[in-house]
Amino acid sequence: MNLDFLTRLYATSIGRKLVMSVTGLFLSAFIMFHLSANLLLLKGAKIFNGFVGIMEKNPALPLLETGLFLIFILHILMGAWVRWEDWKNRPHGYERRKWQGGRTVGSATMLYTAPIILLFLLYHLFTFRFVDHSMGYYEMAVSAFRSQTYVIIYIAGFAALLLHLSHGVQSAFQTLGINHPKYTPWIKIAGWFFAIISVTGFTVIPLYFFFGIDAKTSHFIIEIMH
Amino acid sequence: MSEDKNNFSVTIRVWRQNSPEDEGRMVAYKVEDVSPDMSFLEMLDVLNENLIKKGETPITVESDCREGICGCCGLVVNGDVHGPDKHSTVCQLHMRRFKDGDVITVEPWRVGSFPVIRDLAVNRTALDRIIQAGGYISARTGSSPDANITLVKQNDAEEAMDSAACIGCGACVAACPNGAAMLFVGAKISHMALLPQGKTERMERALNMIEAMDKEGFGNCSNEYECEAVCPKEIKVSNIARMNREFLLANFFSKEGK
Repeated sequence: MNLDFLTRLYATSIGRKLVMSVTGLFLSAFIMFHLSANLLLLKGAKIFNGFVGIMEKNPALPLLETGLFLIFILHILMGAWVRWEDWKNRPHGYERRKWQGGRTVGSATMLYTAPIILLFLLYHLFTFRFVDHSMGYYEMAVSAFRSQTYVIIYIAGFAALLLHLSHGVQSAFQTLGINHPKYTPWIKIAGWFFAIISVTGFTVIPLYFFFGIDAKTSHFIIEIMH
Repeated sequence: MSEDKNNFSVTIRVWRQNSPEDEGRMVAYKVEDVSPDMSFLEMLDVLNENLIKKGETPITVESDCREGICGCCGLVVNGDVHGPDKHSTVCQLHMRRFKDGDVITVEPWRVGSFPVIRDLAVNRTALDRIIQAGGYISARTGSSPDANITLVKQNDAEEAMDSAACIGCGACVAACPNGAAMLFVGAKISHMALLPQGKTERMERALNMIEAMDKEGFGNCSNEYECEAVCPKEIKVSNIARMNREFLLANFFSKEGK
């Protein structure tokens, strides 16, 4: 059996890039799913805890979590690998170097935003996932969002994610070979739009609790939402 | 030497390296009586003549046609690949772009796969080896066929010509933050994949050329598009996307040995 088509996905430069782009798009979809779950926090303890309770009872959960973990690992490993190769091919840097017009702040900082997001992710997992949940998920989230330290770390993490997604999403399409004069400008705009929407959504929730808007106006907002 | 009142003097900070093994260093030289009509390479010629007169070794710099079509020259001038003018090679840069007293930094392409031979000249045979791996049509295509026997769509012909405009100067690799050669390889794969004569071997070609590119140690494209911004022949990054498509097609749909 010829398995070259699989080995080439890690043994060639373009194969590794393809893995990075596909895993990146999966992670982007996960971000949307996570955000839509988080938005339930705005609907109060009963609805949020109810949703988490249903999720926990899903027999496929361990499988989904393992899959997500593997996608993260692949994305990180391939990213580190391609950067290692890039670094090897520039043994002597330029004395003077100007941006030539192609780079963006997002694209030029991928190497820095990636470890920031990873650190935030680990912090997030060790404060939310791998801890005792007996006080209730909603209560945990709200008490974290009332802590200044947590909110600052949270917003810093999402600022990095904003930059990362601003380049990453549209870049994934180019790597998959999707480049066309008709669609590429829209893909670039959609990439930014995706980044702004998801990061705004994630940061609005802790600010909502941090500034106590829930206590002051929650009744009013809920009325409007209905 | 003419004494024109428009002439000025500049300081050139240039990379000097005696051999591939030498560590290399930046050395500053003052160049007097520079005419604004001189090309940048002519200014380096004047500097070299002065160095020879003083008994010093002239600066090695590669150039051939000096009209922007051969792909021999290539320098990083003040941090700009091929100089500050867009879509032109460094031989098309003129001293009127500078003013009296300017300090101009001149560096070679800084790419591991392009080792410095001496001073500003680098060894770009890595690109030739990628072409040898598949950048050609191996079957005899015969003498000129009758017109209109093989029909080619006008758009395909235009796109193939745009890709074939690549002169292999290596500016894309020099400008790439990752030292990737994907714009070059993308252009070379594209101009044949678009035409009927090249389509027969497109799958093997894509896999072989990408394998050769990896073997030469070039970096990985992260879609920063610095290559497109500096390319003197305006090769577009859509060529890289086409190469990615050719790879997908060959990797997942080829029925041949590869």
